[in-house]
Amino acid sequence: MAWSSGVWPPGASTVSDPEPSPLGRGPVTGPVTSGVALVDVNNFYVSSERAFDPSLEGRPLVVLSNNDGCVITRSAEAKVLGIPMGAPWFQIAGQAKNWGLQVRSSNYELYGDMSARVMEVLGRHTTDLEIYSIDEAFLTLHGTHRAQQATGRTIKATVRRNTGLPVCVGIAPTKTLAKLANRWAKGNPHFDGVCHWDLVPQDQRRALLRRLKVTDVWGVGTRNAARLNAIGIDTAWDLAAADPVLIRKRFSVVLMRTVLELQGTPCITSSESTGNEQVLFSRSFATPVTTLDGMQQALSVYAQGAASRLARKNLQGRVLTAFAGTSPFSTGTRSAPSICIPLPAHTANPLELTRAAHRLLPLIDEGVSYIRAGVIITDLQPAGTQDSLLTLDQDPAAGAGPALGKDTGPLLHQIGQRFGRSAIGLGHAGLKAGSDWTMKRDMLSPHYTTKWADLPLVKAQ
Amino acid sequence: MREVMDEFGASGRALGRPAPAAARAELMPSGFASPAQDWFEDRIDLNRHLIKDITSTYIVRVSGHAMDGAGISDGDELIVDRALHPRDGSVVVAVLDGELIVRRLRITHSDTSTDPETSPTTKSNSTDPGDGTAAGVALVAASSAYPPIPVPDPDGLVIWGVATRCLHRV
Repeated sequence: MAWSSGVWPPGASTVSDPEPSPLGRGPVTGPVTSGVALVDVNNFYVSSERAFDPSLEGRPLVVLSNNDGCVITRSAEAKVLGIPMGAPWFQIAGQAKNWGLQVRSSNYELYGDMSARVMEVLGRHTTDLEIYSIDEAFLTLHGTHRAQQATGRTIKATVRRNTGLPVCVGIAPTKTLAKLANRWAKGNPHFDGVCHWDLVPQDQRRALLRRLKVTDVWGVGTRNAARLNAIGIDTAWDLAAADPVLIRKRFSVVLMRTVLELQGTPCITSSESTGNEQVLFSRSFATPVTTLDGMQQALSVYAQGAASRLARKNLQGRVLTAFAGTSPFSTGTRSAPSICIPLPAHTANPLELTRAAHRLLPLIDEGVSYIRAGVIITDLQPAGTQDSLLTLDQDPAAGAGPALGKDTGPLLHQIGQRFGRSAIGLGHAGLKAGSDWTMKRDMLSPHYTTKWADLPLVKAQ
Repeated sequence: MREVMDEFGASGRALGRPAPAAARAELMPSGFASPAQDWFEDRIDLNRHLIKDITSTYIVRVSGHAMDGAGISDGDELIVDRALHPRDGSVVVAVLDGELIVRRLRITHSDTSTDPETSPTTKSNSTDPGDGTAAGVALVAASSAYPPIPVPDPDGLVIWGVATRCLHRV
């Protein structure tokens, strides 16, 4: 891996490079300025499991995706065993015992709480915290480069102390470079988990960029990469040296921003990177769904899950996409129906969304084994920007049914919060006794921090 | 990933988040002000009383009788702060043979120049390496039926957290 090759410690090579630098920033220590830190937890799920079960320390451990489908997080020891990311569990289960491999189902309750703890600690070190995913966030840091690096070290130590979780910190003038610095910090032990881009000698930064492919750069997808390669842009260095105007013309303004960011000009704002572009609610089924009734029930649950998320984010959506799919490993009939429904108006109303999701049903083949389904809501806007004209009471299609107005979503959300997520649901989703397609988590660790019955045990024996 | 965060991210915040304070008595609409408004206080909040830092506080359940003499009984819940610096006499949750155990930490020092603040047992709990000056470290029970557990390599000892309170049903 290019990341771990030895281009550190500093001073190992400080020969000045005669080539002009595409990097706009020269000084090694620099004046008082502000920088962006990307903080993320190393092997977050694995580390969260280990925080409460020290016996897992030093042993190969993997965490499986929804329904114990495939490997989504691996400890360093599991990587050494050669278990690939995304390996289907059924393929490696047979060897697990020989390897001494420890396996856990995804304990989202635990990870969610640990994530909240980490984010709260991070928020104490910045005025500007942008949570990017469950285990990573961007922070604005102020002061000299040295001061920023010191803050990075404090953050790393504090998160470790308060949560037991190891983090790496990458600091740079831009988010794109902070991403690179973060991965560098992970891959090279000399950084001790904290890498400030501007404090690394310039020749070493160049060497890194020359080693990296364009796909290693945040936001450059494989499709763009192929087109970039076609015009001779192969490495991150090439991309950093490209003409931003040309890139905008031939590609997009998004890729132009990446070029500018590589050159040291911050231009990816928080609204762009966090993007409330869509709400996705999708699951794999524990046992395949083969009936229309089963699919209708699943879509009801997912549409209401999506509605609940919209309510929590105070958003409304205008377009709903519902989809289902058979297993890629299936030898039987394969089917992947999807349908895109423009809604009459922006809404977060669970009944409207559920009704829209059900329009996938005519495309479902009874008897075919579907293993997943989902609902995506797009074209989002903040709730209240424009009042929904078509609430359920006014919808003629609702007929003489019970009046469920636009307050329904928030109300259901509140009840769910107070009494548990399966306490209430609309129509087909109003179920508590688990259907056989609810998530399978056979190797689940306790909900150590969210359930009294699951508290970690400490021995006084 | 972000969706997962949204789904569960709030759960950790439920604990110990104080309700917005004051101002309620001030908002009374009538001309007849409450005679109590100058004495308004928040209702007693156990979370604020028991938890110093919500990000480092965990609750664990005790299993066994080794700490009976310290008022910590089988089945009790302990409030543990992972951010606290363990000292001589602290009731700690330590890692022993891959398990979490609760004991009282005993540190004895060999000479007078020793700084009692410098604990050698902070491997997981502090950034400083804790250049050990301790002559002896042991994890001791609060019941004579359980012999002290000597710690021959204090630098290798992992203190998971320091217990601050015991929740005992009476």
